[in-house]
Amino acid sequence: MEIDKKNYTAEDIESRARRALIERPSFSIRSRLLLGFLLLFVLSAGAEITSIITLGKLQNKTQFLGVADKYTNEIQQARRFEKNFFLYSTDLQFVFDHVTTAESLMTSSEGELKAVLGEDNLQTLKLHLEKYIELLHDLRAVDAAEISSPQNQMIENELRRHGSEMISFALELSEKELKTVKSMFKWVKIIPLLFLLVLLILAIYMANFLNRQINRPLSRLMKLTRRISVGDLTPIMPARKYRDEFTNMNLALNHMMYELNRRQEQMIESHKLRAIGTLTAGIAHELNNPLNNITLTAFMLEEDYDNLSDKERLEMVRDLIKEADRSKNIVRNLLDFARESEIDTEHLNIEELVSETIKLAQNRIRLKGVKVDAAFPDNMPLIHGDRQQLVQVFLNLILNAVDAMSKGGLLKISSPHSDLPDFITVKFEDNGCGIPHHMLSSIFDPFFTTKSTGHGTGLGLSVTQGIIEKHGGDINVESEVGVGTTFSVSFPVAKIPASLEK
Amino acid sequence: MPEKLKVMVIDDEPIVGKRLKPALEKSGYEVEVYETGAGALKRIEEKDFDIVVTDVRMDEIDGMDILARVTAKAPRTKVIIITGYATIELAREALVKGAFDFIAKPFKPDDLREIIQKAAFALKEEQE
Repeated sequence: MEIDKKNYTAEDIESRARRALIERPSFSIRSRLLLGFLLLFVLSAGAEITSIITLGKLQNKTQFLGVADKYTNEIQQARRFEKNFFLYSTDLQFVFDHVTTAESLMTSSEGELKAVLGEDNLQTLKLHLEKYIELLHDLRAVDAAEISSPQNQMIENELRRHGSEMISFALELSEKELKTVKSMFKWVKIIPLLFLLVLLILAIYMANFLNRQINRPLSRLMKLTRRISVGDLTPIMPARKYRDEFTNMNLALNHMMYELNRRQEQMIESHKLRAIGTLTAGIAHELNNPLNNITLTAFMLEEDYDNLSDKERLEMVRDLIKEADRSKNIVRNLLDFARESEIDTEHLNIEELVSETIKLAQNRIRLKGVKVDAAFPDNMPLIHGDRQQLVQVFLNLILNAVDAMSKGGLLKISSPHSDLPDFITVKFEDNGCGIPHHMLSSIFDPFFTTKSTGHGTGLGLSVTQGIIEKHGGDINVESEVGVGTTFSVSFPVAKIPASLEK
Repeated sequence: MPEKLKVMVIDDEPIVGKRLKPALEKSGYEVEVYETGAGALKRIEEKDFDIVVTDVRMDEIDGMDILARVTAKAPRTKVIIITGYATIELAREALVKGAFDFIAKPFKPDDLREIIQKAAFALKEEQE
């Protein structure tokens, strides 16, 4: 989220971001995970319970199937003895025995029978059985001798009808039950498969969820650290609807960035103060020398004016001019160093800037008899900066190199691939006298110079460094005495047209 | 007419010597001018000077080194220190180490003449 930086202080922005982060409804990752796993548990439990219930039912069914089988068996047995009674006049008691067993079996599992057959069918079955028993009683009452009487014949027919009805009923019952058991077995096989499928879908969802809830904030955090390392301290704004564990971390990070920003400003301030201190001492020293020369020369010119030859007087006046000029240069460099001007930015092509600068330095390069070789890759990205100041940076580096080299020296200017992403590096590689190792750490200090007195103010590199830092860049130096010095300057690549001021 | 006092002026700014030599000679001193500490030290070994005027900040051998060498070799010699930036600490250090006086840049020829005169007077008093 972009905030219009001009209208708010860093503190305002930080508290705005904080409010935006906190005011979201809270839904922690912990409760989301808990919810997810609870759902998983409920599903597993549901599948398990369904399995248990189905298995229980199956057990009942198989038991009942056994009972039904027995019942059918008893009835069949009874009917066989019934047949024997009619054909061979065996004892009717056998029939009674089996029918009674069948009846007690039916009474004991009446509930199940009702559930399987339905009320009406059960009543019919009962009716058949009762009728059958009644007919058997009738038959017993009749004398064995009158077995073929018409009355007997009628009983016999009735008995047969009810008997066969009972058999077909019992068989139907068994068949029905067998069907349900089969379909139940089918379910018992299918339920785990269904459950596995649901589990798979849920696992994919959970993986996705974890990715969203944990990996995304982490990669956001990584981007943030990259952003902080290049100096962007804009606070984090909410990216999701709910507040979670990462919110507190984001709040802490925002606070850290706010503090960093504040400290950075403090540090810049104290840096400035220290620089002013160094400057004051530097001014005193640097400026006092030409001033002293002017004072001495002017007073002596005044004192001896009449006794001096024209040539001597002219020499003294020239000394005055030279020393005044030297003072002027010191002051101008000082102003360059202390200048707090806003940088005037535009998109710039480094290659163009460098060749422009080489033209400016051409005179010195030719006088010194050195060569400058600038080679850049094609399609260099643009950078964002102040043309004038960057030319000054390149001019300082080129002139330093030229001064360090003797006749026939070579300054190579190139742009190797930068180690940092989105940065352009320009390398200035000379084969001059080099800088002794113990001096390398001081070369960017104001008023430090390796050149002999009167040849450098010692401000060049510190001005250069100041400008580069203002552009968000970096300058590095490597040097070896007698081999040469390499300055590497890096600038951020211009991406979006944005103001450089912070 | 007493013998001329021998004065040595050391400053790495050539104009300083160029102007001070005629100025001090006019005041009746015998003047030698050096632009480097090394050259001056070499000459000091050869010859005793009455007064040495030296810039404090120079490359390689600086004013404090000259002061140390001169006080060791010829304690009678008066050393006057020229400071680029007149910090009290540096001046005090020089005085503690035996300098006669110090003078801050930028100075007029007469300012130095005055100090040299005081030094000459002190020398004369010591002799008596």
